[in-house]
Amino acid sequence: MKSEILYPGAFPMVRVELAEGEHIKAESGAMVACSPTIDIESKMEGGFLGALSRKFLTGEKFFFQTLRASRGSGEALLAPTVPGEIVVLELDGVNEYMVQKDGFLAGADGITIDSQMQSMTRGLLGGEGFFILKMSGKGMLVLNSFGAIHKIELKPDQDYIVDNSHLVAWSATTTYNIEKATSGWVASFTSGEGFVCRFRGPGIVYIQSRNPRGFGAWVRQFIPISE
Amino acid sequence: MGQAIHSNLRIADAQSAYVITLPTQLRQDAQALKLRFGFKTILDGSPEVSPGLCRLWYRAAAREQVAVKESSKGHVMTDFHPNALCFGDEFPAGGSPCLVHVEAQGFTIAFTVDGGQEQAEVVPFSRVTVSAGGLDHDQLVLQWAGPAGQRTLYLKNPEIIHAFRQAAPAHLNEPLERAAQQVRQVRKRHRMVWGLVGGSFLALVLGLWFGSDLLVELAVDRIPIEWEQKLGESAYRDFLAQHETVNDGPSVNAITEMAQRLARHVPNNPYTFEVTVVKSDVVNAFALPGGYIVVFTGLMKKATSSEEVAGVLAHELNHVLQRHGLERIVKQLGFVAVVSIVLGNSPGLGGVMKQLGVELMTLKFGRAQETEADLSGLQLLHRAKIDPNGMITFFERLAEKDGSRVEWLSTHPMSSARADRLKAQLAEMPRQDPEPFTFEWMKVQASLG
Repeated sequence: MKSEILYPGAFPMVRVELAEGEHIKAESGAMVACSPTIDIESKMEGGFLGALSRKFLTGEKFFFQTLRASRGSGEALLAPTVPGEIVVLELDGVNEYMVQKDGFLAGADGITIDSQMQSMTRGLLGGEGFFILKMSGKGMLVLNSFGAIHKIELKPDQDYIVDNSHLVAWSATTTYNIEKATSGWVASFTSGEGFVCRFRGPGIVYIQSRNPRGFGAWVRQFIPISE
Repeated sequence: MGQAIHSNLRIADAQSAYVITLPTQLRQDAQALKLRFGFKTILDGSPEVSPGLCRLWYRAAAREQVAVKESSKGHVMTDFHPNALCFGDEFPAGGSPCLVHVEAQGFTIAFTVDGGQEQAEVVPFSRVTVSAGGLDHDQLVLQWAGPAGQRTLYLKNPEIIHAFRQAAPAHLNEPLERAAQQVRQVRKRHRMVWGLVGGSFLALVLGLWFGSDLLVELAVDRIPIEWEQKLGESAYRDFLAQHETVNDGPSVNAITEMAQRLARHVPNNPYTFEVTVVKSDVVNAFALPGGYIVVFTGLMKKATSSEEVAGVLAHELNHVLQRHGLERIVKQLGFVAVVSIVLGNSPGLGGVMKQLGVELMTLKFGRAQETEADLSGLQLLHRAKIDPNGMITFFERLAEKDGSRVEWLSTHPMSSARADRLKAQLAEMPRQDPEPFTFEWMKVQASLG
């Protein structure tokens, strides 16, 4: 399985080459184009209950697509819904990533996707909801973001502060706490940051350069109110 | 297999066995190879070899271009199966995958770096400090100062953690116990918090369900009549603007007379009722908060006597008097607010719950309110000396005919139990002679065309 990011930047696509018999799971609706040798199946990852819990608990889609090169090798082009960069990670069976609900684009078959419950404060204030996706296993993992993806590398015990709505994915070796952005409650909200996440290394945190919620609020003001 | 120690090295475990044949120039280096890769024993039939270490040896041998023959028992495992992540200055920030093997005096840690190059390091227990770490504090973190700088190792695999705890010397027992304690505490706290939240959420839902009437009443009591009137009025004007109204004539006079007569018999009535007749074949009538009542001509046509219409009016008037509309709004808003606060604005579960909750609420609330309005409507009719039988028969008649446009029924579901309840209530009331209205119902109906 080989992958290549086409048109890197705001409107990228990822090309995945599949050898005969290989398959990849992708977010429902991610397939843009593919070779005729590739079959598209709809699959409830983790069974019906798993899919149901993912749908309800994380807001992620109920079905994943499975693209299977069942009749010979071929390629598939995948793209996310929102404009933004794509990043390809290689999981080796030891490193695990937590991914916010819109961050998953595609994963090799060896990747396991679970909904994981967060702690109370993280769930309530982190802006990701109580459940996030946990990616483990072995193989290629494709993530997408809104805006550009920035990689923050943290050494052991190194701290870094991230606005919670800019999170895309973070390794399971990092820890984070939710904090007020400034020392005072009022200033926290008037500064426009509200809550932030203080990450502590070691590990990697992927962030997106745009905030989907902020963008939504910005767009909303231009939408005429229908009667 | 493995006849000569120096030429054929046999590495075996339960699943597989390898024969490593050293080429001539490397035979003398066998000892060096041992040291270099932290091999303890490369002897024929070495008893305590884990599959992981076996693979490590195999790889090491392969890299040194040592001929490796597979024995009949095993299969080639060329994949590197790391079981831990190691962090250090020269490693990538995401950590370097490594293979950890716990031994009696310490552990061996092997890496693949840069194009399959392997490195191994032996770390004695004496140099290691331990703690708990990771996102959920469920990983064992080992730290030590290696030859190449500070190293941090994250262990997650339960087997390795178990092996480490088994083999660790006494001086590590205390910190290990502390780490385990920390993990247990975090888990316990998680469980407790979630239990608490789950419990209070359940209690809240149950409380809302069973104790909501009281709460809503309390809240509604605090809302001034003027607010209610404003609320009702805007909805009322909106509705009238979109419908054709009957502004005068016998039908308006009749409805006004009925409403006034009923209103006169309401003790301490804070509302001034406004009744409008709307030209529509739909069989419907409704009341808005604040005392705005709309009667459709369709309903008037369907009624065979003025008492029947008066019955519907009495029912609707009581919705206003009991402030049912307001109660409903408060209840819905309240429930939605609670769900939103608890679940956030997530489109998944939150949305579903909201929808479900609101609908269930409306249903349950609706029934209770209808019964209340029925009974108090009946009493009001009685006080106003209007024959309450009209109300009951009209309800029953509407229910029998499944007229396609009888909208009143969809919001006021008729059941035999409802009519029976009304009849029973009526039977308990003292008999009295009804006073007729000043108009003739037939003429009113005729005026509707």
